[in-house]
Amino acid sequence: MFSRKKKIEQISKLQVNSYSELNETFHMLWSNKSAMIGLILIVILVIVAIFAPFIAPNDPYQRSLPFRLKPGIWSEGLSTRYPLGTDYMGRGILSRLIYGARDSLTVGFIAVGIAASLGIFLGLLAGYYGGMIDHLIMRFVDIMFAFPSILLAISIMAVLGPGLEKAMIAIGIVYTPQMARVVRGSVLTVRGTVYIEAEKAIGSSDFRIIVLHVLPNVMAPIIVYSTLSIASAILDAAALGFLGLGAQPPRPEWGAMLADSRQYLMSGAWWAVTFPGLAIMITVLALNLLGDGLRDALDPRLRK
Amino acid sequence: MKNKWWIVLSLIVSLGFVSMGAGALAAGGTLVFGSAGDAVRLDPADVTDGESIQRMDNMFEGLVEYETGSTAIRPCLAESWDISPDGLEFTFHLRKGVKFHDGTNFDATAVVFSFQRQYDKDFPYHKYGEWAYWGWMFDYVDRAEMVDPYTVKVYLQEPNASFLTSLAMFTACIVSPYSAALYGADSFKHPVGTGPFKFVEWVKDDHITMEAFEDYWRERAQLDKVIFRVIPDPSARLMALEKGEVDGIEYPDPEQVQKIIDNPKLKLLTQPGMNVGYVAMNMGEDTPGFEEPFGDVRVRRAINHAINKEEIVQYLYQGTAIVAKNPIPPLLFGYNDDIVDYEYNPAKARELLAEAGYANGFKTTLWAMPVSRPYMFDPRKIAEAIQSYLADVGIEAEIYSEDWGTYLQNTEAGKHPMCLLGWTGDNGDPDNFIYVLLDKDAATIGSAGNVAFYRSDELHEVNIKARQSYDFEERVRLYREAQEIIHRDAPWVCLAHSTQMLAFKNEVEGYVLHPTSRKFFYPVWIER
Repeated sequence: MFSRKKKIEQISKLQVNSYSELNETFHMLWSNKSAMIGLILIVILVIVAIFAPFIAPNDPYQRSLPFRLKPGIWSEGLSTRYPLGTDYMGRGILSRLIYGARDSLTVGFIAVGIAASLGIFLGLLAGYYGGMIDHLIMRFVDIMFAFPSILLAISIMAVLGPGLEKAMIAIGIVYTPQMARVVRGSVLTVRGTVYIEAEKAIGSSDFRIIVLHVLPNVMAPIIVYSTLSIASAILDAAALGFLGLGAQPPRPEWGAMLADSRQYLMSGAWWAVTFPGLAIMITVLALNLLGDGLRDALDPRLRK
Repeated sequence: MKNKWWIVLSLIVSLGFVSMGAGALAAGGTLVFGSAGDAVRLDPADVTDGESIQRMDNMFEGLVEYETGSTAIRPCLAESWDISPDGLEFTFHLRKGVKFHDGTNFDATAVVFSFQRQYDKDFPYHKYGEWAYWGWMFDYVDRAEMVDPYTVKVYLQEPNASFLTSLAMFTACIVSPYSAALYGADSFKHPVGTGPFKFVEWVKDDHITMEAFEDYWRERAQLDKVIFRVIPDPSARLMALEKGEVDGIEYPDPEQVQKIIDNPKLKLLTQPGMNVGYVAMNMGEDTPGFEEPFGDVRVRRAINHAINKEEIVQYLYQGTAIVAKNPIPPLLFGYNDDIVDYEYNPAKARELLAEAGYANGFKTTLWAMPVSRPYMFDPRKIAEAIQSYLADVGIEAEIYSEDWGTYLQNTEAGKHPMCLLGWTGDNGDPDNFIYVLLDKDAATIGSAGNVAFYRSDELHEVNIKARQSYDFEERVRLYREAQEIIHRDAPWVCLAHSTQMLAFKNEVEGYVLHPTSRKFFYPVWIER
């Protein structure tokens, strides 16, 4: 991406020294403590998700009803076998959370991946060509905005049917308009720059200009926006899971774990609800911290 | 000072007792009842769900009624009846001086009207309802005729032993013809009967209010008002009771039963329920949901062996149920206790599956209700447990749910391979379970009560014999035989008969649980 960007800059001769820019970005990010905390947490989560079978103390699907809703290390008894206690089917909550990290992270990344691909495509078309195409796409996007996001996701799920894979698609679709808008806005600023004019002057095709010159230059806002979106996508997937539309049992998706256990809160098994909630909170917080840090680092106006 | 208070207090209390004894003086008070859901319609003949029915129970009456707390019948709007020797003609002598809530008189016209609108397709009021229950319970009734203003004759096409007990059901309640004509298609929003309470208002999904009917033919109800409030969430329902916003609730969460018992201000009423919760395996080859394995009796038996019902009852029902081995609960006559249930034995289940050619298991879908039912408090959790038991023997089941109304429609249409469902008895007769839920007559796609689409000619023959016989001993023998046939063919996994539970504040007195889960507030008073 940056080598291409360098090419553009060599042509345009306007922006200089992209390597130092990259350095500076990293430096900014590195010195931002909260962003680093976010990054470290996310790396840990990804590692946990990848190596779940080796880390989890027990099988997340193994039912043992006689041990249901037992507390964890803070009490006597089963603590070593089930460090965070057990859920209503007698499955270890810690193991389920560890396996659930896979589902939640996958949902976040894939849903945002779908939204980004669609959004970038629509945003580039609308921003670069303008006129009628822009009108059509942006009015369509406006219509999508008219629906509250979770309601739109629920209606899409109603058509697709329940399931985690379908939840990813639904969330991806719901996030597309926002992404398209962000991309289009950036494209509009890039489109007017001299280096694009120059490309046009030497007779490059639209496709070449868009892919090699416009896209790399709108990447920064896309990265920031995607990072922040992953956080909300995980939350929305949890919400869909909570409504019984997302992950189906026995998958240990965090939102579904929360929903299935909430009735036990009143009978005293607080751990069955609290830990999935904490897991969601920590992940979303980490992604938001990182996203904020990235925005600060990538925004030239915030540099000294 | 303190002493004086005690005297005053004991005076009040003793006065209270005296007035209780006197009956007429004890009136007063409003009872708010927390229900799990709202009524669907308020026409007793056109409802099938428990929530609608429990509201009807207080506004309507039939020719006969159940004795308090049992399914034995006693006269109500009919004072007496004669049965012809062939058992095909029933003559009812009606009670005089009974008034409907709208002020009109109860007489034979009302009885004929209430029945005819259900069975006569050409009757002008037939179009205002679906009348599903009539088809299930009274399809053998030919017609009702007025003999004189206070005598009605009902003709049957064939003898039916449970006809009189079925008449105590809500389906056969008498509605006011005057109001039915007045409101037409909207009469399901304006219930007018002869019962102890009179309809006041219905705020959809919030509450239904009724007040004591002053001209009731028996003594006026002790309560002034009964309000059914809708609180779908079980925790919220219990909290409302603890805070005193409601005076009683239904379906307490089994997990919270201990909390109710430990609370000195509350009391828990329990009774073995006349119900069954089961897993039906779809055997109907012509249904859209049919899957090959369930056509094989070895697979169905394997599934019976694979599921650990004791564990489900102990941990998921929290002991508020008993393990079921027959489709009818033990409190019904004809219950066959000699049947030896399929024991929990995953190894045997695997063997049977291998024999049937499914050594590596198979994939299927298990449907689960989205809502609590009286026979199954938390169907989703039970489905999850069953899913994991089935996984142990190699069967990979996906759980599927959809909203309750659609769920019923689609299971009646046979779109499921396996489904959870259950039944609460209506009249205390085994026919109401075995015929309605397992006979081949009830396996019509689209309106099936028999959602296993189990079509056994052998069982059908026994069922018909049993329902047409007036000989009690013979009926017992026939139903015992029916249970053997069902056990052998294993169309279901019978899971549990759950305990009926209601929780009330201590001050609420006089409530008696009814085995059919119907809720009668007429004898209830609030102690102060």
